[in-house]
Order: sequence, then structure tokens, then C-alpha cells
Amino acid sequence: MVHALKEAQRVLTPGGLLVDLRPLLDRWPVEVASSAEQHEVGRCTDLVEPLADDAAANAAMADAIESGQWGRDLQETFPLFYYWDTPDEMREYVDEDWSDVITIEEPLWHALRSAWATADPETRVRLRMKMQITRYRQITAVT
Amino acid sequence: MTVQIDPEGTERRLLLRYADFASAPAKHVLEVGCGDGRLTWHYANAAARVAGIDLHPDDLRIAIADRPTKLVERVGFARADAEQLPFRGESFDLAIFAWSF
Repeated sequence: MVHALKEAQRVLTPGGLLVDLRPLLDRWPVEVASSAEQHEVGRCTDLVEPLADDAAANAAMADAIESGQWGRDLQETFPLFYYWDTPDEMREYVDEDWSDVITIEEPLWHALRSAWATADPETRVRLRMKMQITRYRQITAVT
Repeated sequence: MTVQIDPEGTERRLLLRYADFASAPAKHVLEVGCGDGRLTWHYANAAARVAGIDLHPDDLRIAIADRPTKLVERVGFARADAEQLPFRGESFDLAIFAWSF
């Protein structure tokens, strides 16, 4: 992370911008959603290692700001939704792509299937991810 | 298995605003962790040049296959490590760390 930041400094022009866009683990809600209504069924479980990675990234950037290399000029969080037509499709995706980031416990899968099965036919399942976007401006270039 | 990501367009809207293409449209952009190019296509039309890097060749193959013909001259993808960038100094106006910090 520290090396990646230094490399970004090196290849950016003086005053160049760095936009950091990333998910923040926060026990993302698992929901059923249709055009008429949306509701949370439960929350997924964050794994420990990615949480530590988040903390390390934040610490590295805080150090770079503290030392005057970067200035932070914009930041906000926002929800990002992933939708699937069925709970089984969602489960396949989570197992394949996110098994090193989050887990969804069996009772929650069961509750999600029940909520989806008894909802309107157009209802889908979704994950509400917490995202953070930040813009930094380079103050000190690498020499 | 079909997944739909951000049909609301929130991520795209914020990325374009934060990248500030409106006030400085001719940007040379480095995207670190470009993956299959999902984010790249949100802003590539607004950039002068884009270099997307990632460590995963399978994702890069998808990005290259999906690249519109009209962007071939301006958008390139390469397998590279963010800690050893294969670029000269001061060659980009904007770096996007896409889900990769």
C-alpha cells in the first residue's frame, strides 16, 4: 500500500488527483427488493483479514496526509447495490467471488429464500454494499 | 448466473464528479485494479488516454475483448503491479484506485 502510493505520486503530474473508490466492510445488508418495496432480511458477516486490510490502507493514507504528501479534498460514502434474480444465483456469486471477504450464514440464506419465495414475482435479492469514494490531490511529488 | 451491478448509476455518477472531467477534460488516466474494465467504461469517453492495469490476466482479457473499436487508440490494458508501475514519471493527471487500496 505504501509502495503503491509512492508509485502513484511518481507517475502523477504535480497537483495530480488520486481517486480512491472502494467498498467498506460494514456487515452489508441482504435485502429483497421490488419496485414496490424493499426490506432487509439480515446482514452478512465480515471476515477479519479484509477488515485489517481496510485499517492498514486508512493508516497508510493518513500517514501520507500527515506528512504533507497528499491533501484530501472530497470524500463521501454511498450504497452500491448488487442484484440477482434468485437467492441461489446470489449464493453462487458470493461463494465464487467473495468467499474471502464476507460470509452469509445458513440461517440467513434460509430466511432470504423464504422472504423471496413469498414476495411478488418480480422481487429480486440484493446486497447493499457500503462504498467510499475519496479524492486526494498530490502536494509533494516524488523526487 | 446473472448479476446486475449498480443499476441506479450512483457509482458512475460519483466517479465522474470526483474525476473532475468537466473542468479538465483532456486527462491522462491511470486505473489501478481495472479488472474487467467495468469502471473504465464509465469514464473512458471523457478521457484523453487511459491505462488500466491489473494483476489478473483473465479479467484483462475480458477488458480487452469488451473494448469498443473507437477506444482502441486511447484505452490500453496491461498486467502490472501497482507497486512497480511500468510508466515514466509525471505521465498521468489522474490515478483511480478502483477497489484496490
